[in-house]
Amino acid sequence: MRLRNKKYFGQFGGQFVPETLMQPLTELERAYVKFKKDKKTQAELKSLIKDFVGRPTPLYFAQKLSKKLGQIIYLKREDLTHTGAHKINNAAGQALLAKFMGKRRVIAETGAGQHGVATAAAAAKLGLECVVYMGKVDMGRQAPNVLRMKLLGAKVVPVASGSQTLKDAINEALRDWIANVSTTHYLLGSVLGPYPYPAMVRDFQKIIGQEARKQILQAEGRLPDYLVACVGGGSNALGLFHDFLPDKKVQMIGVEAGGLGIKSGKHAARFFGGKLGVLHGTKSYVLQDKFGQILTTHSISAGLDYPSVGPEHSFLRQQKRISYAYITDREALAGLKLLSQQEGIIPALESAHAVAYASKLAKKIFHGKLIIINLSGRGDKDLEAIRDLGVIHG
Amino acid sequence: MDRIGKCFKELRRQKKMAFMPFVVAGDPDYKTSLKIVRELVKNADFLELGFPYSDPLADGPVIQRADMRALASGMNSDRVFRLISKIRVFSDIPITVLAYANLVYRRGVDKFYRDAGRAGIDAVLVPDLPVEESDKFVKAAKKYGIDSIFLVAQTTTKARMKKILKQASGYLYLVSILGVTGIRKDIAPETLGLIRQLKKLSKLPVVVGFGVSNARQIKILRKAKADGVIVGSAIVKVIEKYKRNPSRAIKEFIKGLN
Repeated sequence: MRLRNKKYFGQFGGQFVPETLMQPLTELERAYVKFKKDKKTQAELKSLIKDFVGRPTPLYFAQKLSKKLGQIIYLKREDLTHTGAHKINNAAGQALLAKFMGKRRVIAETGAGQHGVATAAAAAKLGLECVVYMGKVDMGRQAPNVLRMKLLGAKVVPVASGSQTLKDAINEALRDWIANVSTTHYLLGSVLGPYPYPAMVRDFQKIIGQEARKQILQAEGRLPDYLVACVGGGSNALGLFHDFLPDKKVQMIGVEAGGLGIKSGKHAARFFGGKLGVLHGTKSYVLQDKFGQILTTHSISAGLDYPSVGPEHSFLRQQKRISYAYITDREALAGLKLLSQQEGIIPALESAHAVAYASKLAKKIFHGKLIIINLSGRGDKDLEAIRDLGVIHG
Repeated sequence: MDRIGKCFKELRRQKKMAFMPFVVAGDPDYKTSLKIVRELVKNADFLELGFPYSDPLADGPVIQRADMRALASGMNSDRVFRLISKIRVFSDIPITVLAYANLVYRRGVDKFYRDAGRAGIDAVLVPDLPVEESDKFVKAAKKYGIDSIFLVAQTTTKARMKKILKQASGYLYLVSILGVTGIRKDIAPETLGLIRQLKKLSKLPVVVGFGVSNARQIKILRKAKADGVIVGSAIVKVIEKYKRNPSRAIKEFIKGLN
């Protein structure tokens, strides 16, 4: 038996990076411990989260949707944060950490562009140079976010290698970090990568669940029956779920991208076809061929289009604490339309996966259950892509 | 005695620095790759072969493209082992392979090293496997008589060096730059200091790689008493340029290094 190791979640996690990055990771871990204890910095973080990010976000009772689905449905409105997605919680925190460490440059990867925009905004606010790596395919399908990043003063570097999506953007960001470790903090956007990133990003996102727990107790006087969130790397899901983990009766479902269906092979559902492996510094479930080459994934949503998943998700799945499901592209589009027309809220394509799953779940369970959906981001960035798919008529 | 140890002993006797070219196995395809190796072994003391990988995060664009060419031609781990068995028919040169951790895990750590031993591989370097994660790998390597090569970088502290030295065998791979593989003009001054430091700490030969591509750099390393030098991207670039028949160009490039 392996000794219990803080770098691991059970058998998942670890640090699988080239030697050059090992000492910087140790330094990051130490700085993060200091950062958490530093009262002045923590006060600054608190004010950033409140006034810059715009927290707490509402827990919104979706009245019409509830009636339609026969359940009591609440939405945690991360779409209402500054820059329009939960990503800013982590970006603001890590940008402040970068400054605390004396770094003058931050780099980030981005898929849907939300993490890139959040990082660019936080970097602008805190006076840090910002470079964002983004797959060429993603730059095409999330064009508005590219413009936003540029306007915020970030340099956006197109990544043309591999599948030209999130996976390749992370490779490029890691390569940049290897070359510039002394001046640069890698502001990783999800609960992925080598330790301490999965734990640190989760800590910055935990606020979602901390707020939601208080808010639901206040609104309903009880804990929810279900929590539903989409899972790419898995930061919005862990952010919502984490504070509820000890509440054994609260069921949690992470929703992966089913793309064109599992059988088609064109999907990003790691728990429905992935195998244990190592990608981007962490051991988790990975979509790969029998030789260990990483597979190209597909999802309508750039933010879920990634072949691995945060190691803590793999662990919590193994512990049977969180269950996982997938939603296809088509179902996600239906979810997007449903929420837009019932509640007047256009969700991001990523979050639409959670909405679609909740509406599926609603049909399978007794009426009147209390469900919280994490509305991780807003859909403005997706309008062009959605129009091209013919969802909007007339 | 093992091939690697023997080779370094002989080179030391001759007061020569080892020349170790790196190419990606199967770049641009299996057949041409075998031809390339035939040419390389005539002019090299050691050979380093990379397993092509979809996500080589320690590598710069030149080697990334080589990985993609090899994979597109149908290369996979089985074929890399087969290619090396073929090399063993005509050459006894010490062979190190570079394989990213996921390729080893997917095959099964024990099976990977067993197959490596059978194919005639002398050493394995896993570039994204730090010493902290390496127990299982080193154990399997020992079982099949294979050396475990570890990277030492500019950011490696003395405490880490000591940990690495406990696991390393064959030789130490000193990463000469802060960055990924590629072509650079100079040798960082820190590298020369690290060569001295490593030689004080260990008897293992010190081989320098990442970014080494010209005769001047090699001269500097020779003077700094490096035991060997690895040239990768610069040779891979020649392969990229002369896809069908790079043998002559490779020969000339290597000549130019001395």
